[in-house]
Amino acid sequence: MDTPTLLAHLQNHDTPLTLPRGGTLHWDDADLHRAAHTLDPEGYALAGLAPGVRPWQRARVLLQILAASQAGLDERARAVPARVARVLTLGLPPAHVITVLLALRRLRANHKHTTRTALRFVLEHPDADALIAARRPALLDCFEHALGKAAARGCARRIGEGDTGSEYLRRRLLRFLTAPAAAPARVRALYGAPHPDRHPGRHPDRHDGPQGAPRAVPHEAPLPVDAPRERPRTITATNRGDIAATLVHLYRGGPSEDLYAALGRYVAAAAAAFPRFEGTVALVLDASASMRGYGDREWAVLSQAAALRMVLAQVCARLEVVEAGGDESDPRGATDLATGVLDALGTAPDLVAVVSDGYENQFPGDLARVAAALPRAGVTTPVVFCHALFTGSDDLALRTPAPSLPHRGFWHQDDFAELLPWMFGHCAAGAPWLRTALRARLDDLDRRADGLTARLAA
Amino acid sequence: MAPMTALDTLVPGAPGLTGHRLGTPQQAGALTMVPVTGPAAPGFTPPRTGLKLSRVAGYGRVELANTAESGVAIVPLHIGYIQDRAQNHALCRSAFLAPGQSLMFEDACCVQESQGGYLAGADQWFFILPVELRARALELRGVHGYGKLWDDIAALNARYGLPRRGHLEQILSRKRPVLTQFRSRLELAPGQVGALFFVAGTFAGLEIAPDPGYFAEMWPALVCFAYGAAAWHAEAPPADPAPLETAPLETDGDGGGLDGLRGALERDRAARLARIAGRLADVPAGPAELHEEDRFLDLRLSTVTAPHLAGQIVTGGGRTLYASLFAR
Repeated sequence: MDTPTLLAHLQNHDTPLTLPRGGTLHWDDADLHRAAHTLDPEGYALAGLAPGVRPWQRARVLLQILAASQAGLDERARAVPARVARVLTLGLPPAHVITVLLALRRLRANHKHTTRTALRFVLEHPDADALIAARRPALLDCFEHALGKAAARGCARRIGEGDTGSEYLRRRLLRFLTAPAAAPARVRALYGAPHPDRHPGRHPDRHDGPQGAPRAVPHEAPLPVDAPRERPRTITATNRGDIAATLVHLYRGGPSEDLYAALGRYVAAAAAAFPRFEGTVALVLDASASMRGYGDREWAVLSQAAALRMVLAQVCARLEVVEAGGDESDPRGATDLATGVLDALGTAPDLVAVVSDGYENQFPGDLARVAAALPRAGVTTPVVFCHALFTGSDDLALRTPAPSLPHRGFWHQDDFAELLPWMFGHCAAGAPWLRTALRARLDDLDRRADGLTARLAA
Repeated sequence: MAPMTALDTLVPGAPGLTGHRLGTPQQAGALTMVPVTGPAAPGFTPPRTGLKLSRVAGYGRVELANTAESGVAIVPLHIGYIQDRAQNHALCRSAFLAPGQSLMFEDACCVQESQGGYLAGADQWFFILPVELRARALELRGVHGYGKLWDDIAALNARYGLPRRGHLEQILSRKRPVLTQFRSRLELAPGQVGALFFVAGTFAGLEIAPDPGYFAEMWPALVCFAYGAAAWHAEAPPADPAPLETAPLETDGDGGGLDGLRGALERDRAARLARIAGRLADVPAGPAELHEEDRFLDLRLSTVTAPHLAGQIVTGGGRTLYASLFAR
């Protein structure tokens, strides 16, 4: 399975995993996940951390990692999925993780890395106390599945008798944990109320609070994988990220010295979030009149396209820009994207990216016709269409000039975090870039997870 | 693309458009626009920034003002205004307005049959009547009667599958999101002073302005409303374009590979340009009558009437400075 297909699936297929009572696990895309995992366990695990992956897809990645055996994998191949699993147990809403752990129980999947992850979630999650209070029966099932029912109850009995560090406890429970001191109290809490088996009339997954009211399940992930995005109530030309806002003022004729200085800082900061792409990107930049826009939206679309160009110029070892129409500072005239693509291919790039609002009016349809003719002409260089939008809800019915090309929209600077992996994922030179970027993301998330764990231990 | 000859063909006897050229055609759905570039005639007030709706003194009575300090205004033929909670109006003719001058058009038409209220004086966007209504509106110039275009508007609405009512806003306002996309689907060329429009391959109109600034201010009203509405109605669902006919890869250097693709694209485009040139050649021609309607110093505003087209033109100094001609 190619990377763009996998990423597109992870970012778009958002149906939940469900565990009907007494039924089988409903995991509609299990084959896809298993295939991707089999092909490249490390790459698959890292893909789960890619920006924009839907929470339920991250839950599936966690499930797949924990359900799969690590037999035959070397230490390095085991390490990354294990770290990803740890991050995801903190980066997903707790209810999603509980569903995954219950699914593992339903699948009768248990390995050492499964046990470790489950126990750390149940006993070391930053909201463990609240979770146990709200979802005690479910977490008890997860705990007993992780250790085995006999061992789990043996540990609970010993803890109930005051044991905090016997060899039995250490070998069966404490060695899996990073903060063993907190475990006994939580194990006591897990076993502190009647098991639902003894109360068949009650919902097995809810524990009542005071006065019988259900306790709220903490639903916020303590370690958000994706940074929270700016969501302006009204989208304007200048609330789409710092680079575009600065460019809009420059285009409008603002004081250039200060604006150029700020622009340099903003572009450098945005580019620093990405590793260097050691390949060549040929950018077909639509600089026609429609990219300028008019009225309240004037410069909005062009400024974001220009922002993308500037970030790519810093990220890519070589960036070739082919402008269609006018140029960035003076967008004008009609849009001939087909000739732009042919010119771009002539620079022998690893990837051609068309950045346009989608209004192709000089020989409309030619971009699609050229795209369809490329394989027969022996051109294998991937061509992608980056749709420059005013908002994420633009009507694209009349603005999709080549539906067969892979296309993705962007309107805010924050979209670059998803756009660049998607772009580079289409070319062979992008594979090492994507792995480097996702490893860096994992390192960052791991550090933040360490911070959470350290606070727990303290 | 070619020296401008279309106006000579369309209107025998009118001063030519020496120095004007046709540019590369653009297409958006059923609407083809051939840009016209040419020498600018400075000194005219642009219609959006210089010409204002002053007031409506009664149904069918619309006053416009040229608020510019200098420059005569040529009122665009069939200009109209829309406001909420007011009876929308359009004019049936063009006129000259000297700087600072106001002019009451007593022969304006209401385009919103059952809406009461007068338009207020405003600095606002304007529309041009859809091309299907323009010949009839021109015939009704000088005729007093604010409801004189309602039957034609109702018939147009019915042809568009909309309720048969004398309400033009059913098209202009309710379809505005799709119509205004023509402003971006087609793009103004640098130095453009005019355009030829074809709807579904058939000549629909010729528009010429005195200078690029004037035409730029006419652009949204022309592409979105005057010709865009008809094009929207005629637009077919997008079809999958066939791949270019290229030689297989094995013949690289002889029609295959990237060079082969480029060659195929150029050949294909040349064929399409030839087809558009054929449409230009097929534009109906024949004798036309010119009737002078207004004059300002050496400028003359005339109505053009022929079996195949109608409209108004402004001439001066031996040149055609403004033209709004449409197929009948």
